[in-house]
Parts: sequence; C-alpha cells; structure tokens
Amino acid sequence: MKKAITSALFSMFFAFGAVLAHAADLNLTIPLPLTGKQAKFGEIQKRSYEIAAAEINAAGGVKGNKLVLKFEDSGAKPDIARGIVEKLIDVQKQPIIIGEYTSACAKAVAAVSEERKTPYLVVVSGNDDITQANYKYVFRLNSPNAYYADGVLGFMKEVVKPKTIAILYESSDFGSSGAEEMAKHAEASGIKVLLKEKYESGAVDFKPILSKVKSLRPDVLYMVSYVMDASLLMRQIKELRLDANLFAGGAAGFAIPEFIDNAKDASDYVVTSTLWSPQVKYAGAKQYAEKYKKQFGDYPSYHGAAAYAALFVAKDALERAKTWSPEDIRAAMKATKMQTAFGPVQFVDKNGYQNQNFIPTLALQVIKGQHETIWPKSMASAKFLYPMPKWRERK
Amino acid sequence: MVQLEVLLQTIVSGLLLGGLYALIGLGMTLIMGVMKIINLAHGELMMVAMYIAYWMFTLMGVDPYVAVFIASPVLFVIGILIQKYLVTPVIKVESILPENQVILTVGIGMVLVSLATVFFKSDYRSTPVDYASTTWYLSDFWANSPIELSVSLLWAVSFFFAVAITLALWFFLSRTDMGKQIRATSQDSDAAILMGINVNRVRALSFGLGAAIVGAAGCLFIPLYYLYPALGGQFTLIAFVITILGGLGSIIGAIVGGLILGVFESLTSTYVGMGWAPVGRFVIFVAALVFLPGGIASILKRKRLGK
Repeated sequence: MKKAITSALFSMFFAFGAVLAHAADLNLTIPLPLTGKQAKFGEIQKRSYEIAAAEINAAGGVKGNKLVLKFEDSGAKPDIARGIVEKLIDVQKQPIIIGEYTSACAKAVAAVSEERKTPYLVVVSGNDDITQANYKYVFRLNSPNAYYADGVLGFMKEVVKPKTIAILYESSDFGSSGAEEMAKHAEASGIKVLLKEKYESGAVDFKPILSKVKSLRPDVLYMVSYVMDASLLMRQIKELRLDANLFAGGAAGFAIPEFIDNAKDASDYVVTSTLWSPQVKYAGAKQYAEKYKKQFGDYPSYHGAAAYAALFVAKDALERAKTWSPEDIRAAMKATKMQTAFGPVQFVDKNGYQNQNFIPTLALQVIKGQHETIWPKSMASAKFLYPMPKWRERK
Repeated sequence: MVQLEVLLQTIVSGLLLGGLYALIGLGMTLIMGVMKIINLAHGELMMVAMYIAYWMFTLMGVDPYVAVFIASPVLFVIGILIQKYLVTPVIKVESILPENQVILTVGIGMVLVSLATVFFKSDYRSTPVDYASTTWYLSDFWANSPIELSVSLLWAVSFFFAVAITLALWFFLSRTDMGKQIRATSQDSDAAILMGINVNRVRALSFGLGAAIVGAAGCLFIPLYYLYPALGGQFTLIAFVITILGGLGSIIGAIVGGLILGVFESLTSTYVGMGWAPVGRFVIFVAALVFLPGGIASILKRKRLGK
C-alpha cells in the first residue's frame, strides 16, 4: 500500500515536472552593441527583436515554450562579444546564438560558435569572410557585403554610365570589405578607380580629403560609412561644392532616416544600396514597419527588419528540429525555406559562401527628403532623379 | 593651380579645426597647471555641455552659440562641485597608488557616459541650425579667381568664438587678481599658501574654469558635428595630446599646439591618407615626449629668457 502511494506520488511528481518542463521559458540572450558608437544600430535591432518576440509569444511561443529575450551589451568590442557568447554556450547552454552587429564582433562570435559546435545566426554583419571560412555552424541571414552594391551597380551601369569613380570608406571590417568589392566590380566593368581611401570613423573634418577628391573630378563618389559620418560627408561635400554625376552610399549609414535628418538638403539625390526598405512587397514587411513606427516614431532600417526576421527564422528551425541538440538544430537551419518580412530565407552553399542566404539588394534615393526605392525597377516606389543639378544651381 | 587650391583649402580647414582643438586643450591644460591633475573626464564634460546646448535648441529653440553663455556657467558649477566633493577628498587620502586622481577622473568620465546613455539613449543627435550650410566662396567675391576656396560660416563663427574666449581667458589670467592667484598657485602652491592665497579656493575655481571652457568648446562644436553619449573619449585624447605638445599648464602652448595639431591632421589627410590622421596624432604625441619634453612652452620660455 505504502509502496503504491509512493509510486503514485512519484508518477504525479514526474507528470507535474513534465508539464513544467514543457511550459518552461526558452531563454535567449542576444549580444548587441548597446553602448558606444554603434549603440544606435544595437537599439534598432533590440526593439525589433522585442516586437518579434511579442508576436511569437502571442501565437503560442516556440513549441509551447515562452520566449524570453535578454540582451547583453558588447559595446561593439569583439573580445567582449566573445566573452558573452562563451558564457551563453558554456554556462547557460543556449541552443542557438543570434545577434551582434559589427562585422568584427560577428567574426569573433562565429569562431566561438564553430569551436563549441553551436549554431549561430548572423543577422546584419556584412563582411564576406564570415561565411567564407568553411564554418559548419554559422548561418547568415543578410547578403554578404560583396552583394550589397548590386542595386546601386545596376543603376550605375544602366543610367549613370560612369568612367571614373572615387571610393571613401571607414576603416572597419565592414567599410574595407565594401570598398574592396566596389573597386573590384568597378574594374571589372571598365570604370577607373581614381582614389580609394579610408578614414577613421568619428572624424570631424573631411574637407582635406574631399578637396582632393574634388581636384580629381570623379564621375561617381562612392562612400561606405556609418550614419553620422555619412551626414557629415554630404554636408561638407555641399560646402565644398564638390560636383559629381552621382553620390552613392554603400548601405549602413546612408540608408537610415537619421542620415536625412542630419544632412538635411545636402542629402538630396544621394543614392544608397540597402537590403530592405519599408516599401518592399514581402509579406509582413509593411505591418512590421508600421508597428515599429507606431512604437518608436520612425521607420526602421534594414537592420531592424533583419533582426525581426531572424527571430522567426530561429523559431522556425527550433520547431522543426528533432531535438534541441546542436546537431539537430543545425540540420533544421540548413533545411530552412521560408518567407520572412526581410525576404525569402534559404541557406545555401554558393560562390565560396557556406550557409549563406542571398536576398536581392535595392537602391534607394533621397527624393524630397524621403528615401524612395528606385532600383531594381520592379521594386521601385518612385522614379529616380537623374541627372542631379550642380550645387551652384541648387536653391 | 588645382594643386595649389587643394593645399590652400587644406590649410584653411586645418586652421579652423585647430582653433577648436586649442579651445578643447585649453581647459585641460589649465586644470593640469594648477592641480597637477590630468583630467581624463575632460571630453565627457564637453559631452555634458553639448547635451545642454542640444536640449536648449530642441526644446526652446536657443541657438547653440547663445547656449555658450548658459552651458559654460553650468559647467563651471559642475567643475567646482567635482573638485570640492570628489577630487579634494581623494587627493587627501594616502593611498598605495599616487595616481588615484587619474583613476578618479576616468571613473567620473565613465559615470557621465553611463548617465547620458541612461537618460538620453544612444541616439545620435545634432542641432540643425538654419544657417548650417551657409558658405562663402572665393569666386563669389572675385569672379575670375583661378582657384576656388570655401569657408563655411559655422566653422568661421566657431573659430572666432574660440579666439574670443581664449583672449578673455588670457586677459583674466594676466590682469586680474584672481588670475594672478591662479598663476601663482600653478607655479608653486606651497609658496602661494605662504603668500596668503586660499589655494583650495583657487583650485576649485580653476577646475570650474577648465570645465567652463571645454563646455564652451562643446557648444561651438555641436552645430558642426553631432552628439552621442560616448563622444567624449576621442576629445579627451585630443586634449591630452595638445596638453603634452603645448607644455603642461601653458596657455599659449595649448593654443599653438592646437593649431599645429589641426593643420598637421589636415595635411596628413590630404597628402598621406585620411586613415593616417589618428596615427599622425600619435606620432606628434610621442615626438613631443621624446624631443620636446617641456612642449612648446619650453621653446617660448627659452626665447624670452634669451638662453
């Protein structure tokens, strides 16, 4: 009798335990730069992750588990990002790593994840190396840097038809790989690279280098910068009356609303590549953009959309995975084929990249103080303005 | 001709930048001279002033150049409070580390950055004034000019403000009684005590003055640049290089040092590569330490004494 009661108690206890385990929280900690120079981008992403998590939980969570997000600040420092992720994998046993912003941090995190055999989903870091290193556990949602300029290149080839180009870029992993790729594309299509120079992000005065660019008279000035440098560059270009047929930016800084807010009328006619815009026709993109704008007063940039989509990609993989062991999650990630607000997601091995998602890139132009999608033509929200007037002729 | 245009434009930009650098360096050198403290929270104090200017512009539409007259006094008070309640008690303590005031100022800087992040988020902010893109061109005045030079109104105004503040400071230090007390304290604080100078008051005053000057620099800077909580660090570094280059505690040294650094950085940007400008800064710093330990001040002193 006593034995029966004990066993009954035991089984009840276990049943209760199973229920508890089933309805447990899925804790995901996301490393992001929340302080320091890159904090702005960390914040856009943090907000977007939170929007996604709220939607996922409202729809029943991940396999019935409530998704609980936490964020850790890496300050855009690779060593700190590395430390955070080591802790997540070794101590918290987190089944999948998502996040980071700068390429340098993503590289560090990718190395740790590969070493510890834990799947890592890179969300917005552009440096090509990350998915060229033969890593089996590293997946990337955004296109690699080499493909960022596709939209702008298409526009250049068909409309601007330049003979010469000058490239300015910030001395980060993102900046230098973007500039490198643009130089390669330009040479391949017979455009002469007159100048390719880097600068330290946060510089105050670009006029010396810009007057040098002015004296070279390039047809196109291509710049890879984060946001405030982008605004300063355009303002000082205006001050110097540096005229070119096209001012183009390689995503990041030029593609977010703050660029226009700060550069004001100096930002008119500037064309920039981007991976996403609130006007794209992917399912859910518009709803996400409106939700973000309602909560935070501004439309998100592609950084936010990628973060928003990343959480759904992870959820999808976790739900399809047989168990939550790294091997099974990796297999599920590899088999991903879904539509997100950021575009279609499928991780493929192609052109030297592994586990890489390729999405079409767009070109935006600042028209009347607004970013409008102008290229490819099939996705355009407005007709591009070309040629642009010289500074002297603007009001 | 084109090359001449590039060179002239570079020098113009360098001088304008140097004027602002000098003003940032001035505050640090003043505190250094009087208290023998390297204030490593210098750039962060500038950041605080920039937030004051920013909010006054955004909420009340006050022009950042008018904000100088409000932000500077506020920073003056903050400086005095820091000296009175944080620096003085720490200096009194006998500790293993004689450099504990350096660590203290680094800590103050970190607290300021964190507070700014908590209160104002890490958004980038700027004060878009109406005349932001007003620029004078040489060809507007001289239609057939073979070269084109441009000077932005903002940079020019900031530069002249910097000059005016520097002159006012120089007048204050050389002509007023309080200024003389500050100079006496910076030369020999023990002797100053014997002469009946209230050294503690002088110290608090000069910390306040240093903070006020860098606060003014912040207000002059914000229309040209932008603002975010972690901005201070790089300007602390620039101020530090200028202080070393100019000679510790020398006002004239800081001015000349600031101008030299501005022009040197501009020339490096144009003729070596913009990515090299921070390297150039470091080279100047090391060169000053090795070849000119007393900074520019030591050259000036030698000339004056005829040795």
